[in-house]
Amino acid sequence: MADPANTTLGKMLMEHITPVVMVLPTPLVEQSCQKNGLTFVDLLSPFSAFDNIDVPVRTANDQPYRIKKFNLRLFHASDIRRPDLETAKAWMNKVVTEAGEKESYRNDDILPIPESESLPSWFEIFNQELIQVSSFSDHETFDHPVACLLVVSSNDEMPINKFVDFFNTDKLPSLLNDGAMDPKILKHYIILHDNQDGPPEKASKILSEMKNTFGSNECQLLCINSSQGGSVESPVNSWSSCKLNKEHFLNTDNIDQIKVLMQDLTTKHIIPHMEQKIRALNQQVSATRKGFRNQIKNLWWRKGKEDTPDTPDGPAYTFSSIESQIRVLGDYAFMLRDYDLALSNYRLISMDYKLDKSWKRYAGVQEMMALAYFMTDQARKEAEFCMESAFTTYLKLGLRGQQNAIRCGLWWAAMLKARDQFKEAANVYFRVSGEEPLQSAVMLEQASYCYLFSVPQMLRKYGFHLILSGDSYRKCDQMKHAIRTYKTALSVFRGTSWGLIRDHIHFQLGKWFAILGTFDVAIEHMLEILACTHQSKTAQELFLGDFLELVQKTGKTFEVCRLRLPVVKLPSLRVVFEDHRTYASPAAVGVRESIWKSLEEDMIPSSTTAKSNWLELHTKLVPKKCKQSNICVAGEAIKIDIGFTNPLQIPILISNVSLICKYFISSDEMESDNIGSSTNLQNDEQLRELIAGSDVNADKDPYTLSEVEFSLNGGETLLVQLTVTPKVEGMLKVVGVRWKLSGSVVGFQIFESDKVKKKNANKRKPKQSSGNELTFAVIKSLPRLEGSIRSLPKKSYLGELHRLVLELKNHSKVPVKNLKVRISHPRFLALGTREALSLEFPACLRMDNNEKCGHAVQSDETASLFEFPEDFIIQGEEPVLWPVWFRAAIPGMMSLYITVYYEMGDVSSIMRYRTLRMCHFFEVLPSLDVSFQVSRCPSSLKEFLVHMDLVNKTSSQSFEIHQLSCLGDQWDITMLQPVNIPSPIMAGQALSCFFKLRNDRKATVRGDEVISQCDNRGNHVRLGAQVDNEDLFDIATSPVADFHRHEVLHEEKAEQRYAETVDFILLSHPHNMSTESVDHSLLFSHHACLCSVASNGPLCWMMDGPRMIHHNFDTSFCEINLRISIHNSLDAAVSVRIHPNDSGPSTSQPSNSSGVSSENRVGWHDVSLAGEAKITSDTLQNTRHVQQMPGESVSPFIWCGSSSTRIKVAPLSTAEVPIQICVFAPGTYDISNYQLHWESMHPEGDIDADSKQSSGIFPGHSFYLTVLQSAT
Amino acid sequence: MASTACFMIVSRTDIPIYEAELGSALKKEDAAQQHQFILHASLDIVQDLAWTTSAMFLKAIDRFNDLVVSVYVTAGHTRFMLLHDSRNEDGVKCFFQEVHELYIKILLNPLYLPGSRIASSHFDTKVRALARKYL
Repeated sequence: MADPANTTLGKMLMEHITPVVMVLPTPLVEQSCQKNGLTFVDLLSPFSAFDNIDVPVRTANDQPYRIKKFNLRLFHASDIRRPDLETAKAWMNKVVTEAGEKESYRNDDILPIPESESLPSWFEIFNQELIQVSSFSDHETFDHPVACLLVVSSNDEMPINKFVDFFNTDKLPSLLNDGAMDPKILKHYIILHDNQDGPPEKASKILSEMKNTFGSNECQLLCINSSQGGSVESPVNSWSSCKLNKEHFLNTDNIDQIKVLMQDLTTKHIIPHMEQKIRALNQQVSATRKGFRNQIKNLWWRKGKEDTPDTPDGPAYTFSSIESQIRVLGDYAFMLRDYDLALSNYRLISMDYKLDKSWKRYAGVQEMMALAYFMTDQARKEAEFCMESAFTTYLKLGLRGQQNAIRCGLWWAAMLKARDQFKEAANVYFRVSGEEPLQSAVMLEQASYCYLFSVPQMLRKYGFHLILSGDSYRKCDQMKHAIRTYKTALSVFRGTSWGLIRDHIHFQLGKWFAILGTFDVAIEHMLEILACTHQSKTAQELFLGDFLELVQKTGKTFEVCRLRLPVVKLPSLRVVFEDHRTYASPAAVGVRESIWKSLEEDMIPSSTTAKSNWLELHTKLVPKKCKQSNICVAGEAIKIDIGFTNPLQIPILISNVSLICKYFISSDEMESDNIGSSTNLQNDEQLRELIAGSDVNADKDPYTLSEVEFSLNGGETLLVQLTVTPKVEGMLKVVGVRWKLSGSVVGFQIFESDKVKKKNANKRKPKQSSGNELTFAVIKSLPRLEGSIRSLPKKSYLGELHRLVLELKNHSKVPVKNLKVRISHPRFLALGTREALSLEFPACLRMDNNEKCGHAVQSDETASLFEFPEDFIIQGEEPVLWPVWFRAAIPGMMSLYITVYYEMGDVSSIMRYRTLRMCHFFEVLPSLDVSFQVSRCPSSLKEFLVHMDLVNKTSSQSFEIHQLSCLGDQWDITMLQPVNIPSPIMAGQALSCFFKLRNDRKATVRGDEVISQCDNRGNHVRLGAQVDNEDLFDIATSPVADFHRHEVLHEEKAEQRYAETVDFILLSHPHNMSTESVDHSLLFSHHACLCSVASNGPLCWMMDGPRMIHHNFDTSFCEINLRISIHNSLDAAVSVRIHPNDSGPSTSQPSNSSGVSSENRVGWHDVSLAGEAKITSDTLQNTRHVQQMPGESVSPFIWCGSSSTRIKVAPLSTAEVPIQICVFAPGTYDISNYQLHWESMHPEGDIDADSKQSSGIFPGHSFYLTVLQSAT
Repeated sequence: MASTACFMIVSRTDIPIYEAELGSALKKEDAAQQHQFILHASLDIVQDLAWTTSAMFLKAIDRFNDLVVSVYVTAGHTRFMLLHDSRNEDGVKCFFQEVHELYIKILLNPLYLPGSRIASSHFDTKVRALARKYL
């Protein structure tokens, strides 16, 4: 550490704890001095500090030492009293206010790191003043005058008497009068002569008179005002601090005289006087208090005084008391810088004061001890301890000790600062900050600086104390200081994530700037905290309310770039525009592009042809650059969806929401603008221009904007659709969005996409194109088709059949032609013929109805593409209607996509075609669940049993079944037996019906011919209440047949194809429960396609022949001719080999029976005959036992003819094979020991060959033949 | 229970990730904001003290008027800071230890990103229950 004397505190002490000289001038003296604008004290003051006095000093010690610097403090006698607190305060207030005015609060954001030198200078002044306030206390003696200057003017009458009178009047300070200090102080007599009043002879005369009266050493003559007006340059510096008149009469001689006077006073009078006094007092103290005996005596004596009343200040000590003398001794020693002596005396006295409970004096002594320790630079701990105890003791005294406590604290803090203990110093400053706001503000600010200077820096503490100090400044209306501290604190807290802190600072700053009238800065701060999600609802209301009030005060609408209320969700940005793709409804916009693409794939001109025609045209018309940007059509709105979120808990009102757009006539212009906008400033200017420009939205503008108004509740997010409609060809760029908050603040948000583009432009191409999504090339207006399907049911039951209307509209004068439609789910929707529009439905489907809907429109079956007739042109306002058939094909939530392709009638337009995309969502509820099972009748190859299972799966709807039809002319269906089908079928009800199906017709009649021969009614069964075939529906006409075809197509895709299948269509009506009647206006059709009739495998065969034969075995064995007719239900020819097996039937029987009985099947099928066979044999026991026992290898009959026969059966045909057996004895024979080996003969190169079963072996069916012995 | 208490968890990057006003005293409007200031300022002290000891519980490290700041530093240098006016050091220690356990459970959640805000309402109720128990 540096020399204590050179520290701030050291210097302060050197100035402050110095001998006081009391000055007593007569009024005439003052009058003379006033000619120069000075008081007498002022006149002398500049010369009371000596830098190089070099006086030898000898105190109690015999060793003399030299003092170089010395100070005197001169006070007018009337000033030697406790200073007035109020005036001091007023003065301090003034100092601070002036400092505040001077201080320009920095608006820059750099963190100011002031060094100790750059601490605001008024801190020092303020601290000095606080210390001054506590001076001239009676409990400490360094403020007590050491000497007294008595000054009389030479003009005074009877000057000698005047000198004497000084001490007789009651002008003397109270300290002298009430006995706190020794009245016998050093006196020095001066006769002042004003040279303007005449030559100094008179004064000299008086001086000699004085010398006679008071002694020659103590008297002096001082001449002033020797100069005859005009200014002398040299001495001006000395009084710079005082208010010296421009005109003064002091010449160099006068000044030199004053200098000499003061030096003499110090060196020859004051210092020797003090030395003397120290020595005298020291002797006295040693005599009475030093030594063991004296100490004991002292202690005992003090103990004895314990019963004295406990006055708050302890006992009153007069100057003559030993305690006061010790204190004087200490203070004098301190002033003469004999700190060791001072310290020993302070120590001595502090014990006494403590015992006397004279707390104020005790604290004063402790304070001085600490200072003495500090000045000797030793025992730091002791020094701090002393300060601490002094400070706390002063504080305990309450109001009386307050000023002293402050002084003590300031010294303490200065002491700690001198030792670089900034943290502790800050603590002390914090403790000094009392109730009084101004004082606490300054102290807290000093504390904050201490934290800043401490090592390591404590920035957070710095910030916190600045805030505290700012609050205090605010309390005493030092607004500028408050703002300054907060601003400085903000540099610490900038960007903090401690939300409440940030909000507090910005809010207060905003409020204060508003009070000062700088609204723009205030608003800037308020903006920071508007979007405070973490705050409570009341705080949010307060912030927003204050902000709006502020904005209203400014009286204009503000445009704010960073208005974060509401928050614009940029990722939610979605642009919808229509080039050649147009959308019928917003729902269609949301559908994935890939779905549309796949729908339109082969409908729109392919890309190669497109390039050769319209793109080529396009390149001619639109410059290259625009190829990257999107194309939109003049007069058609570009829709932009943006999400707005309210981060607050309180509702906010947003109005005038619209897009900010920029229009360029050509793309070159836009490019140049892009370059220009790279510099931020220009961009900003342009923005202002844009925002301002959009206010005047006149007709001549190249685009129109939509405006939206909405209110957002707390935390709500709203997706808003904004539109811009370009009117003129050119380039349009959507720049951003603007809105108005609560009708007063305009906020805007710029879409940053082009920045992204710029960044990535060099790296990747795809990015570039995505960045361009907000730039549009506007082309000439084109016809645009609008379309919808009228009254498409949102909910329908499975199988429901409707006739709907497709409505198409073209507002433009230009016609559109070559319309094509593709539907994503042709099972649900099919376009009808134009005539169908006028027909009555469903009556037109009746067979007896002459008006037919016509057959299915001939179009590509698989592509589900519908082309309108060539002459179908849409033009003008009139909507065009087209019938559409709707059938709910499968249950569930369905989305149906329809694309309408159309071409412009006007060839000159840039786009030649456009597509209209429609999208519908609906739900299909399950209704009747129909399943069919077909099994072959074992007795006939042409007959089948159909088992229909019906379940009503609805929750409430009931149905009435109308008719069951099977498709194809070769089938003939009848009910197995006339059963009354219950009607209606209630919800949840299940039903099984059996039908007989016959394959009557020739298989050669197929295909379209079948449909034409629809007069045959054999393939329909009328079900339901009245069983007559009068009101049957014709299933071969347009909608039903169309839908059926699609069903078949769908089934084909899904399932393995069997050659021999049958399709069923069940028609039903809903039954209205409330009216108990059938609703004939609604028709339901349920399709069951490709029900395989070949349920038992690819082959079916039957042995045919006599069952009972009478034969006379006596004559010969019996030859029996049998036939096996084999039916091939595969679509390929099959080679079949019948292989008689002589080993007996039992080999294959078990496997057959077990295989079948495991399934509980309905209809005709093979049942195990093991049990039955036994019964048969039992009944026949009496005749002849012929039953073959299992395991017996010898067959009772033999196969005749060829041992195996191979035939080829054509697909879907029947062949007959004759066989013959020989029987040797009467009996019942089971002719089943043969096998059918089959092998399908696929045509060459059939890929499916592997997937299907291509060969196999069937065991023979049982065929019982009874041969009886004929009677002969 | 202490009449005033404010508990905060500060991440290693000095970002508050959890805060709770726990006191039983009536809430003043600016109290929460002042508490934040005090706790934020004491971070300066924690920063020095945390490296001088191996203990996690740093006891009362700072004070403002009659409010005391107690701090607990986890191994990951996440700081639990409690501003309180009670003198029950044992209780504060227990409170911190239990909160540390809860905090570790939060950290174990694979969906929790260390250093992000703790939004779990379960954590909040548990902390408040602990505060009622120990403070």
